[in-house]
Amino acid sequence: MNCLQAEKNFSAHFEDALDYQTLKRFDAHLTECAECQKEYDRFCESIIASQELPQIEPSPFFMATLQQRLISEKRESLSFWERISRRFKMPRWTLSGATVLLLVAATVTFMFRNDIFNQDNTSPISTRPNISQPEDSNNRQLIPSDVEFAVPSIDSSQQIQQNYTLKQVSYTTFSTSGGL
Amino acid sequence: MLELDDELMQRFQKGDQEAFDLLVRRHHKPLINFIARFTGDKDNAEDLAQETFIRIYKAADRYTQGRARFKTWMYLIAKNLCKNELRNRSRRERFRTDNVIPNNRNSDAENEEIDLIASAPADTSFQPEVAIQRKELNKAVQEAIANLPEQYRLPLILRDIQGLSYDEVSEILELKSGTTKSRINRARLMLKNKLQPFRELI
Repeated sequence: MNCLQAEKNFSAHFEDALDYQTLKRFDAHLTECAECQKEYDRFCESIIASQELPQIEPSPFFMATLQQRLISEKRESLSFWERISRRFKMPRWTLSGATVLLLVAATVTFMFRNDIFNQDNTSPISTRPNISQPEDSNNRQLIPSDVEFAVPSIDSSQQIQQNYTLKQVSYTTFSTSGGL
Repeated sequence: MLELDDELMQRFQKGDQEAFDLLVRRHHKPLINFIARFTGDKDNAEDLAQETFIRIYKAADRYTQGRARFKTWMYLIAKNLCKNELRNRSRRERFRTDNVIPNNRNSDAENEEIDLIASAPADTSFQPEVAIQRKELNKAVQEAIANLPEQYRLPLILRDIQGLSYDEVSEILELKSGTTKSRINRARLMLKNKLQPFRELI
């Protein structure tokens, strides 16, 4: 065994982990080589010095601080519903049910307010453009001249023109009072 | 009889908060020591130890028995946190040295920190001379460990200071057993060389 090989076995020798053959060769080398023996002694001393480093005492508030941090972490990680249900001290399903009921009530109120149930069978969707249109002296609504319409294909342009004229007549003849 | 960590972890997974508290009480001291030695920062060690336990708390569902022991899992989490902390610290220091006129405050603070770690209550005799010598030696050892490259510092701390087995160290460092052994041997040789000027204290 040479010095380099001996150095590689320092740890194993310190921990009594060398097999019998290697241990014999290692010990023989250390008996012969004073330098390796000295280095090995220093090696062992430095390990012992590091093992004897004093333990750091944790602060007495470690556990309490950890508990506090865990509580705040838990609070942050809760979902919206969990936070609400904890705040109002109700089970989650109760809150969900209450929310659905509220939504239904709001929708029904909205529909009644807009008188949707009292409309005739015509489509509730307005086809009129949402543009405040000027009226003439006979309260007839005028289509603004600069309103642009999609250019239809050449074949159907005639028919569309007719539809447009009919619609114009119906708008100008009847007062719709906000509906159709 | 002392309950095993795995058993406590199982109880905690079933919702037993007391089992988690027991695990913390059992492991917080060695964990703080490991973090303080590895990062060289005693003040921040408790914070990082708490962060480790918070991560364990949050990831308890993912802990599967048999895959890794609780202790190695805990050290693995702490190691990753420490590495992040060291990376952030070096980034901050680089930023500071790039932007501030250099002074000796940093090294003073570092020395104070090492002093604090070295002067933690030790089992010294009541002879003041011996106590001072011991304190000096501890400071030198701590400084020498802190100056080891990370890849050698970590296995050395885990093996010689924390007293973990080679298998546990390999698991935490995610290294093969042979690599771990050679790194520990190399780290010890480096430590020996670094402690050469303080030979008279040993």
